[in-house]
Amino acid sequence: MSSFYEDEGRFRGILGWIFSTDHKRIGLLYLLAIFAFSAVGVLLGFLMRLELMAPGPTIMRPQTYNAIFTLHGVIMIFLFVIPGIPAIFGNFFLPIQVGARDVAFPRINLLSWWIYMAGAGLAVLSLFTGGGPVDTGWTFYVPYSLRTPVNVPLAVFAVFILGFSSILTGINFVTTTHQLRAPGMTWFRLPLFVWAIYATAWVQILATPVVGITLLLTLMERLAGVGIFDPLKGGDPILYQHLFWIYSHPAVYIMILPAMGIISEIIPVFAQRTIFGYKAIAFSSLAIAVVGSFVWGHHMFVSGQSDLASIIFSLLTFLVAVPSGVKVFNWVSTLYKGSIEVSPPLLFALTFIFLFSIGGLTGLFQGALATNVHLHDTYWVVGHFHYVIFGGTGFAIFGALHYWFPKMFGRRVGKKIPYLAWALLFVGFNTLYFPMLILGWEGMPRRYYDYLPQFHSLHLVSTVGSWILIAGLILMFGHLIYSLFRGEKERLENPWGGATLEWQIPSPPPRENFAEIPRVERGPYEFR
Amino acid sequence: MENHRNDGGSKLGMWLFLLSEILLFGGLFILYSVYRFQNPQIFHLAAEALNRPLGVLNTLVLLTSSLTMALSIFFLKKGSPGRSLLFLASTLFLGILFLFNKYLEWTWKVQLGIYPDAPRLLERERGEVLFYGLYYSMTGLHGLHVLVGLGILSVMLFFILKNKINHNHSVPLENTGLYWHLVDIVWIFLFPLFYLIT
Amino acid sequence: MTPEGCGLKTYILVWLGLVVLTGVAVSVAGMDLAGWSTAVALIIAFLKSGLILLYFMHLREGGELRFLRWMIPGVLAILFLFTGLTFLDVAFR
Repeated sequence: MSSFYEDEGRFRGILGWIFSTDHKRIGLLYLLAIFAFSAVGVLLGFLMRLELMAPGPTIMRPQTYNAIFTLHGVIMIFLFVIPGIPAIFGNFFLPIQVGARDVAFPRINLLSWWIYMAGAGLAVLSLFTGGGPVDTGWTFYVPYSLRTPVNVPLAVFAVFILGFSSILTGINFVTTTHQLRAPGMTWFRLPLFVWAIYATAWVQILATPVVGITLLLTLMERLAGVGIFDPLKGGDPILYQHLFWIYSHPAVYIMILPAMGIISEIIPVFAQRTIFGYKAIAFSSLAIAVVGSFVWGHHMFVSGQSDLASIIFSLLTFLVAVPSGVKVFNWVSTLYKGSIEVSPPLLFALTFIFLFSIGGLTGLFQGALATNVHLHDTYWVVGHFHYVIFGGTGFAIFGALHYWFPKMFGRRVGKKIPYLAWALLFVGFNTLYFPMLILGWEGMPRRYYDYLPQFHSLHLVSTVGSWILIAGLILMFGHLIYSLFRGEKERLENPWGGATLEWQIPSPPPRENFAEIPRVERGPYEFR
Repeated sequence: MENHRNDGGSKLGMWLFLLSEILLFGGLFILYSVYRFQNPQIFHLAAEALNRPLGVLNTLVLLTSSLTMALSIFFLKKGSPGRSLLFLASTLFLGILFLFNKYLEWTWKVQLGIYPDAPRLLERERGEVLFYGLYYSMTGLHGLHVLVGLGILSVMLFFILKNKINHNHSVPLENTGLYWHLVDIVWIFLFPLFYLIT
Repeated sequence: MTPEGCGLKTYILVWLGLVVLTGVAVSVAGMDLAGWSTAVALIIAFLKSGLILLYFMHLREGGELRFLRWMIPGVLAILFLFTGLTFLDVAFR
């Protein structure tokens, strides 16, 4: 049977890709676009670190620095980690894992990619039009975003458009999971990756519109001066923060839940042991999605919100740690007495657990009211969310790339270089971000262009770390791209011994995945 | 492959979209409740200045359009496209009437110098600026949804004429109906919040 | 009742109900109910929405999408929690 790479659609060549409604092709379209944008994000981060290598002006002017940290945030968050796993791996594997030929709405799926590209295009356009690149930080906080002369309206509109794409993807995944499961694929036979994407999709559907309306109002504020967020006209800027974080905190779970889903796939396969506490992991995904939607106020402890609100939000924040802890314990328990094979995917998954735990535990410091006052808006916070988002979601993506590479591209990844790349990434990552935790603890504020001499040595270490990390990224992606063209052909359907459905079809999969819709008779982690 | 039809799926997808819409307006309702809580007296006085008879008329117009929408689907499913078209056209007409009334209402307000960022509005109490800010944002966003709805209704009209949707394949019209009813429901909440609560 | 759900008569009755409820809301707004006028207006609005959801939007019938019936109250609960938590700040500043 020919694979989905062989053209059978209405169009040939590149048109056969950008107008394809095949979920696998759309997944790869997303992959290309998302990694291209993330490369830009990495470059911007590299420039920021270079600037901070020494106190005082180093390679750029303050306004440029403000624009660069804003862009780094906007690109990494809205163009890379939020869509990342659902749009790439969710699109490619969710339909296969539930035993379907495609998502429920293939054409809307394609539309969502186009909307994503349009949003990204507008974001790029906003750099060169109006007052130039945005300098507000990725949060677009009012009232500064209402006053700054830069091109806030277009940038805000671009993010609004991107939200649309995210909602459509969410609708597609919920409908697919409900309607297109193969016969015998009961809810508790769904792979945990599907559970995670499913929980995420609900957050995408229900939280994204709130930021949509917030950004729309900010846009109207800029264009028409409505006054709802403008303190000069009686508006309350803290309400902007409420509405913004009602989405943007759950957005953190849009970023991390799918990553946890990937880890729940990789660990049982490379321990060849059924997952420990399947239902606990499945329900903890839902629990994180639900509880995580009501903790947004912990971003606002020093904003001037009421003490009562801060206390309640702090309490709720600590509650989210419970389902997250459940997951970590279950993953570790799965390894117990397993026949563990430390292949690159498992190595990245284990690194996820380690780095995510540091990220999660540092988060508890911020969730406590008293320490928050000290840590708020310092490099501690920067360190914390990079441990969670890069150390968590980023390493999960690396793991997923190595795990699913043979299935997606029909080629094998080399046996040695991924380990070397991993070592560089791991060392570089910790050299880059761990000093940030110390800097923040010592009082270095985030988003500052300049700093006191006493912070110099740690900033220097951090910058050196960014070089090691980037070397690791170049090595890893260089090797993956090499493998894509020159790697050994993967002849096996199931090179890792996985039990989920994607390992029962050819690599790469045929156009409609299954010649015949399978009948599912066992759980996703029942290994022989 | 693109012909795999899944009617239940389409409806589920539409409902999910509507849930998303509820939260889009939900954000505005949160803002409304906070500002009203902070400025009860001023909101009370400002609401009295709105044209209540016109608001009532528009409520009746939209409620009736919901009926004609439901009837249009009813007759399409029963296999009488003629009557379905008639009721669909009525829905379209009522939608236009609603927007026309809205247009009149806004124009009168603008003539009085009450519109966002108007110098005469900014001289007034802060609470009143907020009231009209919310008034224009919420009825504006709702009006935009009506406008989009009118576009979709027109497409459906065309599809029925071309027999692209009929009693065998009525889901697009049913989904249009779901959307239209939701827009009606949003108005059902906007109406008392702006015109009645005094 | 036809197998497809509501009959013609039901639709018209529901519409009448909606119109009557609107009338009630308007006349109640004229009375002085002190703090209760908002509550009454909102209750009427919820009743009207319920009619539309159950009859015009066919949630009453259930079928394969029965779980959707729980989604509407679910989403409303989420919205109330969002509002409630926001008020924890606004009302206690």
